[in-house]
Amino acid sequence: MQIQLNHLMPIPLQDKLRQRSSDIWNQDVTFKPGSWVKIKAPSGTGKTTLIHYLYHIRYDYTGKVQINGKPWQDYNKNELALMRQQEVSVVFQDLRLFEQLTARENISLKNVMQSRPYYPVEKINEMAARLQVSHILEQSGSTLSYGERQRIAIIRALAQPFQWLFMDEPFSHLDEENTQRAAALIAEECKARNAGFILTDLDNDQHFTYDVHYHL
Amino acid sequence: MRPFFDLLKKIIQTGVGKSRFFMAAVGLGIAMLLILIAIQAHTNFTQLLYSSKNQNETADFLVINKTITNAMMGQSAKSIFTPEEIATIKQQPFVQAFGLVTSSQYKVVIQAPGDLHFATDMFFEAVPDSFLDVKNEDWKWSAGDRTIPIILPNDFLNLYNFGFSLSQDLPQISQETVKALPLQVSISNNLVADPYMGHVVGFSDRISSFLVPASFMSWANAKYGTGTVTGTSRVIIKTPDPSNPALVKFLKDNGYTTNQDKLKFSKTRLIVQTIVSVVGFFGLILLFFALLVFSMFIQLVIASCKREIQLLVILGTAPGQLQRYLLKQFVPVYIIIGILSLLIVTGLQYWASATLATHQMQVSTWPGIPVLAGTLSVLALVYIVNLVTVCKYVNAI
Repeated sequence: MQIQLNHLMPIPLQDKLRQRSSDIWNQDVTFKPGSWVKIKAPSGTGKTTLIHYLYHIRYDYTGKVQINGKPWQDYNKNELALMRQQEVSVVFQDLRLFEQLTARENISLKNVMQSRPYYPVEKINEMAARLQVSHILEQSGSTLSYGERQRIAIIRALAQPFQWLFMDEPFSHLDEENTQRAAALIAEECKARNAGFILTDLDNDQHFTYDVHYHL
Repeated sequence: MRPFFDLLKKIIQTGVGKSRFFMAAVGLGIAMLLILIAIQAHTNFTQLLYSSKNQNETADFLVINKTITNAMMGQSAKSIFTPEEIATIKQQPFVQAFGLVTSSQYKVVIQAPGDLHFATDMFFEAVPDSFLDVKNEDWKWSAGDRTIPIILPNDFLNLYNFGFSLSQDLPQISQETVKALPLQVSISNNLVADPYMGHVVGFSDRISSFLVPASFMSWANAKYGTGTVTGTSRVIIKTPDPSNPALVKFLKDNGYTTNQDKLKFSKTRLIVQTIVSVVGFFGLILLFFALLVFSMFIQLVIASCKREIQLLVILGTAPGQLQRYLLKQFVPVYIIIGILSLLIVTGLQYWASATLATHQMQVSTWPGIPVLAGTLSVLALVYIVNLVTVCKYVNAI
């Protein structure tokens, strides 16, 4: 699945962004299938906005986001839902877990959204164990710390098929050790699927062997 | 889908306003019950009226004449049907057959034979044979016959036997005796008088008149008549259903009258029809409000879970999945209500048929196809309204 940006420009940030150069905004960019992409961005340059555009939950832009040569707008609600179930996955900066569900239920929500579970329970348990959140799986989402939520959100994003994984500062609340574990798990899962990812962060990092770097 | 729906159950709280939903469900149940009862009552009533199982044959003969009012007294011409009026009556949809009652244009005197010392002035009338309830081989007359077959009204003999004879100390007479009596009939006009023999061949419950065969009537009118045609003041019709309100209205509107007893059922029928319609109407009104409350309930559920539903959609839940899930929360309730209503109506019908059977009125033991169709259409309507509402509000998110 190929992602192309054509002169993409967020309308609210237009004036600000025109005054500085960017590798992404107002450029023609193509993300090749399976490539691991790092986008480094200082605060306020539209990092989260970009992820939302890529995932098509914000639409206030000029230019185009093309998925397989077709703008997002041309996909209807059902096709979009299918894409989100099968082809693209996401770790939001604000995580977006359901507080009324337990950690395990939050994960399995994505796991069972398609007609049959993507991963067996054992696999989910194993991933939880690797990120050291096994003990909080049965706790309600509202009682979890931010770091715990972040790891649950990562596991949730991995509990579905995808060709692209979008991550918005996925390790912002994790210590170095947990970050390493999470990155290793993500890399493994992406390799298993031959999938690419787009990761946005404030700084440079060595968590992955990135194919491409961009400055936002 | 099962595990996913289990999770949705925790996210989308349908418990909000549960009491409202319960009230709406009860409303739907009552509405359904009223509609089904109205349908079944109508079916039963139709069955009672028209079914061959019910003995009271409804096709009936009515003798119609104009109402004699004080203003008309002394002007016999006013009670005569004009050809236009006759044509109008013939055209009515409830008139299956139509016949004129021909009256005699000559004088008739009847005398009992022998020592009975009974003589009376009389008149004859004639109707087409197909309107008679007396079937008798002797009921025929051809030119030259000196014996005239006569049909008397049953009421006439009853009046004599139970009214006149008892008070006058005269013997009561049986139908057989009357039939055996050779009556002396004198037919005359102002010029000639001829003797004939009268022979009573039967008694009619249907037509209150002294009837002779139509063939005799036309022959005698030609022979003894004054030449002036007096016209028809009574007609006879055959109608499949004397209780038809349209017939009653037609008679009333035109100032015609007939044996009111035969129309009595019409009033009952009108009342029953009105009650059934009112019940059905209230059922429909109630159904409408139940649908309204259901729609508002669905709207409330979706609005109260708007954030959750938005997040579900962001995570990739298809609108179809949400719609299916929401409908699954409500539709089983409707189906249960439908089945319950159907069961109650079945029970009522069973009871009604047993009760009516003791009065020799046969209706079917089980509710008919119309009730089943009614249940299905109400359920289909509720389902469609729900589907439309759910789709509308889910897509709006």
